[in-house]
Amino acid sequence: MKKSKIATLIVLFGLIPGTLYLGTRLSGRSYYLVGTLMVIELLIPFFLAFEGRRPQARELVTIAVLCAIAVAGRAAIPIPNFKAIFAIIMISGIAFGPESGFLVGAVSALASNFFYGQGPYTPWQMLGYGVAGLLAGFVFSKNWIARKPLPMAVFGAVCVVLVVGPILDLSDIFLKLTQIDLAAVVVVFAAGLPVNVSQAVCTFLTLLLIGKPLLEKLDRLKEKYGMMEAGGDGI
Amino acid sequence: MRGSDRDAFSKRHPLVNFVFFIGAIGCAAVIQHPVYLLAGAIGAGSYHLLLNGRKGWRMILGMIPMFLFLTAVNPLFNIYGATVLFHVFGRPYTMEALMYGAAIAAVFMVMLLWFGCYNVVLTSDKFTSLFGDLIPALSLLLVMVLRMIPNFLRKAKQLMGARRSIGKGAGEESTTKEKLSDGMTVLSALTDWALEGSVITGDSMRARGYGVAKRTSFQIYRMTCMDWTLLALISLLLAVVIGFAAGGSTAASFTPDLFFAPIAGWDALGLIAYCLFLLIPTALHVKEAIQWHISRSKI
Repeated sequence: MKKSKIATLIVLFGLIPGTLYLGTRLSGRSYYLVGTLMVIELLIPFFLAFEGRRPQARELVTIAVLCAIAVAGRAAIPIPNFKAIFAIIMISGIAFGPESGFLVGAVSALASNFFYGQGPYTPWQMLGYGVAGLLAGFVFSKNWIARKPLPMAVFGAVCVVLVVGPILDLSDIFLKLTQIDLAAVVVVFAAGLPVNVSQAVCTFLTLLLIGKPLLEKLDRLKEKYGMMEAGGDGI
Repeated sequence: MRGSDRDAFSKRHPLVNFVFFIGAIGCAAVIQHPVYLLAGAIGAGSYHLLLNGRKGWRMILGMIPMFLFLTAVNPLFNIYGATVLFHVFGRPYTMEALMYGAAIAAVFMVMLLWFGCYNVVLTSDKFTSLFGDLIPALSLLLVMVLRMIPNFLRKAKQLMGARRSIGKGAGEESTTKEKLSDGMTVLSALTDWALEGSVITGDSMRARGYGVAKRTSFQIYRMTCMDWTLLALISLLLAVVIGFAAGGSTAASFTPDLFFAPIAGWDALGLIAYCLFLLIPTALHVKEAIQWHISRSKI
């Protein structure tokens, strides 16, 4: 068995139950600490898989470029608060597969926070953004949805509202609520909805307008230089 | 980063900084005993002000409305509490829940203050040098991303300028639709340019031997005697605080009845350790300032 697989198993069946147990033992309000520890533990297997794969130079640089474009993309569009970050993360996932998609998402979240400030939300953002790339990579690699502008755009918008947004709102629930029950959770999710919907609209428009050309560029890069192919040496 | 140039704690090894912030933020997230919260607020607030000066005051004052809002909103969700103040929408608004809200809001504010300090002290170069040996590929990735972002921002501006000069770009008076399609063209062109560069960079890295052997990383930071002492002190104080917390001396519950573990006798040691721990960066800063003052007055 590969080292990263073993690490994944240790995390899933050792660390996470251990953290939950610790949470029940801690006095006081430990939701946030336990939740954040679990988020960080969830990130570990992905990072170890990347380290264990010993990425080649071209793959490393391409992933770095995608992360940097995801973060810097907002400067290219002269509309305030228009965020293309999710769209670019998703396109990376669609082009290079779920693992790379997750990595692009998680690293862009971390990197952008070096410019806008780290906070208690950083691990949650890394997970949420990563999941956006992971899901996109997974769904499209199985050919469940056609790689066409409109289906991609609809998928992106739904993914932001139903998956990524709620993951980010979860950190709010753990940080700001004293009594976690259904009503309170519903209110927090409802309060986060306008932001999530506006980001979904940005993702929808970006994927609709340049999803296809960007994807073609990445596909061409793969074809022209034989990058990121399974079994290939990917030099 | 004007604060970090003159700050004594920022000059210490990144490991010392990192362990301190993990401890401070972790304790702040879990402990909600009012006295500990006050200690946390003073520790975080004083260091924040030392680092950020006037800007720090603005941030602290800006937090007050948020603190009041979070406090006032909590009883609407949490209806458990013995002392009913009044009813809102038929639900009891209790004093205990209000206090609980204040405690949680304080926890949140103290964490934000610590993160504010963290952002000044633990800059990206320190972060990557800290994790360079542990996760080499990811650290290299992060370094590359952090270098590319300003580069791409500049390139995006150039692209927009070039388009404007041939009469194509979107200006202030353009409609949102025009701005959007123009932005997408720029984004697409930026991606093209960047990806092309990535292949060249990758080939160049390979030509110079990337991936041939285990990478070593250049370390600009060395653990000095002072750093080891500080690390030991931080670990010791943290262990004491965690020990007392596990023993229940930081226990606090708010609903249905208020209960705070009394701080008397041995339990005071936990609080003292916590205060000493939190004041380490501030104390270092003040010590440095005094030394500077003395050595200057000798001249």
